[in-house]
This record gives sequence, C-alpha cells and structure tokens, in this order.
Amino acid sequence: MSLVRPLFRRLPLAAVLLASIVPRFVDAQAATATTSKSAPARARYVAPRTPDGHPDLQGNWTNATLTPLERPAGLPRALSKTQAAAFEKVRADTVESTAKPSDPNRTAPPVGGDGSTGAAGNVGGYNYVWIDAGDHVAFVNGELRSSFIVDPANGRLPPLTPAARAWAQQRGARNRRFGQYDNPENRPLAERCLMSFGSNAGPPMLPNGFYNNNYTIVQTKNHVMIMTEMVHDVRIIKLGKPVPRSPLVRPWMGESWGRWEGDTLVVETTGFYPLQELSQSVGLGGAWGANDSLRVVEKFTRTRDNVILYRFTVHDPLNFTAPWSGELPMIAMEEQIYEYACHEGNYAMSNVLSGARSMEREAAAKKKSNPPE
Amino acid sequence: MRTARIAVVAVGLLLTATAPLWAHHAFGAEFDPNAPIRLQGKVVKLEWVNPHAWIHIEIVTKAGTKEVWMVEGGTPNTLLRRGLKRESLKFGTELIVDGYQTKDHSLKRANGRDVTFTNGQKFFLGSSGTGAPKDGRDPTEMPAKKPPTDR
Repeated sequence: MSLVRPLFRRLPLAAVLLASIVPRFVDAQAATATTSKSAPARARYVAPRTPDGHPDLQGNWTNATLTPLERPAGLPRALSKTQAAAFEKVRADTVESTAKPSDPNRTAPPVGGDGSTGAAGNVGGYNYVWIDAGDHVAFVNGELRSSFIVDPANGRLPPLTPAARAWAQQRGARNRRFGQYDNPENRPLAERCLMSFGSNAGPPMLPNGFYNNNYTIVQTKNHVMIMTEMVHDVRIIKLGKPVPRSPLVRPWMGESWGRWEGDTLVVETTGFYPLQELSQSVGLGGAWGANDSLRVVEKFTRTRDNVILYRFTVHDPLNFTAPWSGELPMIAMEEQIYEYACHEGNYAMSNVLSGARSMEREAAAKKKSNPPE
Repeated sequence: MRTARIAVVAVGLLLTATAPLWAHHAFGAEFDPNAPIRLQGKVVKLEWVNPHAWIHIEIVTKAGTKEVWMVEGGTPNTLLRRGLKRESLKFGTELIVDGYQTKDHSLKRANGRDVTFTNGQKFFLGSSGTGAPKDGRDPTEMPAKKPPTDR
C-alpha cells in the first residue's frame, strides 16, 4: 500500500459524485441568499459558543484549495459540477502519475536544466509527495468557485494605480543596482524565514499553492489568536474599541482589532510593517507590498461545524484603483499542525549565497585567464 | 461534446492559474542546471527539519571512495500529517536520487528531483514494513483526510 494511493483512490470517486449529485450543502448565508418559493425552508445553522457566548471559531483549519485568487478569463464565477469535477480529476491524476515508479536505471537529468518552471526553477524541485496544495474546488454559498475574488465582478484584481506601476519600476531599478544574491537582506522574506509565503498569514489570509495552508484559532474574551503554520506567523487580534496607536508601531501582519457583528467576527487591520510583501504567491508579481494606506477588513463566520466562511476586502488606494473583495472556505482539519522552525534547517539560504560567490569566483578566474584584448 | 471541450479548457485555465508561483525559495537560485547528478547510496542521516528536510546518503564513487551527499526534500510537516516520521525511513535503506548539484560545487548537496528506492518505487511508497501509512496495519497511523465539505 502506498502513501498516495488512498488519496488518489478517493479523488476520482469524489469527482464522480460531484458530477452526479446536486450540491446538498448550503451554508447559513447561502440559505438566506438563495431562498425561493419552491425551495424548502432550511434551518439556520447555529455555531457552538464560547463561555462568553460568541461563536466558537477555535480549532485547526485549512484553506488549501484548487481555486485561485483571480478568475481565469472565460470562466464563470460558479463552475459547473462537470467543470469542477474535471479540474479535481486533473489534480488526482497528477498525484497518481507522479507516484508511479521511475526507471531504476535512469540517468542523471539533462545538462542545462529540465525545463521546469516556477519554484522548481529549471532543476525540478522535489518529488510531488511533499506537496499538499489542496484537491478540491472552493465551495462557497452553494457555488463551486472559479476564483476567490468576487468583487470586482469579473473575479480579477482591479487595475493598478500609476503610483503602483511607478513603485514596481523603482523596485526593479533597485534590484538591478544591487545583486539579488549579494546578501541575505536582498532575499525574499519567506526565504529569510521572516514571514510565510506571500499572503499566507496576510491579512488577507490566502493559500500559497504549495503546502502547510493551515491555521490554529484560539479565542479568549478579549483576544483572538490565529497562528499560520507557515513560518509560525501569529496574529493577535484585540477585541473591542480600537485604541489609537502610535504611527511608529507597525508590526508584521499589521495591527488588528476585532468586533462581533451578530455571529460574524469582523477584523480590521491597519498599520502594516512597510516591508511586508503580500504578493509572492498570489500572482501579483512585485507590485503589491504593505503601505500606510492599506486597510484590510476580514469577516469570519462559522457556517457549519467544519466550515468557516472567510470573507475579506482590501482597501489599498495607493496600489489599486478600487477596493477588492474575496471569499473562500476554511475547512476543519482532523490532522495536527506542526511547528515550522524555519531557521533550523535553512541550508537553502547559505547554498544560494555560497553558490553566487562560487559563480563570481568562477567568472573572475575565467576573465583572468581570458583577458579582453 | 461542447460541454466536454469547455470542461477541458476550464481545467487548463485553472491549472495555469494555480500553478505554484513561489516556495520557500526558488530552486534555480540554489542548484546548478549544468551540474546534473545521479546518486545511489544508503541513508546515513536524516534531518527532519523545516523549511526543508535533508536526507544524507553515503555513495561509493567510481574511484571506490565514500562520499556523503545531502539531498533536499520538502517540508516534513506535510509528511507528518500523513503519518510519516523520520523513523519511517530506516538508516541503511538504499536510494536512487536524480537532481542537480548546488551551484557551489565544493558542497556535496543536491535537490531530490526524483528520490526512489532501488526498484524505482517512489520515496515513501514502499510496503508496510517501510513505515508507509494508512494501510491499516499500523495502529498509530493518521485517519484518512476527508473531503472538505459534503457539498
């Protein structure tokens, strides 16, 4: 019996079921939004309560999903069951095909790289067994979603402002002045073990497309703690009326204040640390970083025992020509989440830097042995 | 037929949209695409750590000398959730690795582009005796993951 066999054995079954059944699960908000004369009334879900009477959001949750932040052109907001099942089958087939045995007599991979793109960087990364990027399309309000973004209605990010484009150009110019491998400070935050990939910890909290898209939520009467598994990022959300902060206080992940609006926890975050990068894994290139005008509003609603509906709106007038909003489910996990002591085994950083120094020495030696005429 | 075509297009578009864009680091910055390697040797040490696990294997060179190479894997957290621990891969287990050496060639390190047992079976895909999970024989194995919702 193999590691992944149970996984891919289950997925085609899920795909078949998806193609043949009408979605049965409609959460509380959807019940309100989609009620029609012919539909039977559904009982409103009531979340379990903490001792102080608020909905209990505590536990381990994952937002891993196949659904991307932005909607690919040509797709509707809600995928058909056939589309979703086909997409999930492709992921299941990938898991199955990558688990097949290799030729034990294989030779080394090709000189010049294997052509792999993205993080695999032309050298192939590592076996797929390490990846856990989600195997289902996000299901929100009775819809199989093609994107997290629901506003703008096209599911795409609003256009960048001229200031954002100028900033991206400045950033590019700066990177060209200083070699990206000159020192650790020029490396991305995740590589330096300072923050999770892109917007994994956020806010907004978005999956990274690779692994460890997991969160632990702990509540007290006055605080909500959200720990992101990646790089062990911890958000402390204070509950109550916000106290004015010093503009000098600008923590990673910003300063968050929460309040209960009915059964929904609403969290507003401002005061982001200006070096926080929010774009690495969400397809925004280098164009989105934290800034003084950034404000993120998040809404957490437990709509079922195993689902938190996570909604967010990003207000960033410096970078985007309009606010944008998204929705995705956080699904209860049965498994544990683990410490991510990133510095402990971060040989990658020293390998990257020593590799750059090695190539510089090699180039210098070559230049010395072949001086220009 | 038209529905099938649309589904295929949708799958293609979504796969493109969700292709991993970032990881803890870009492998192309760490490893040399012009230094491909194939290693075969026995496990002598395991570093079951984040951000990446490292498998140490001892190989015998063509000259007959022994060398220990470090092979980079992914985050151990994913495998821990699947019931796989450091102890799941026994010291002395013989592996075949193909990948690329670090850009600093003085280091004996490579990425584990494809790590298999000597019969070609993928890493951690062996029989129950190797510690593979979820085959019903190990009382400590983690329960199978459920679909995210009964939609």
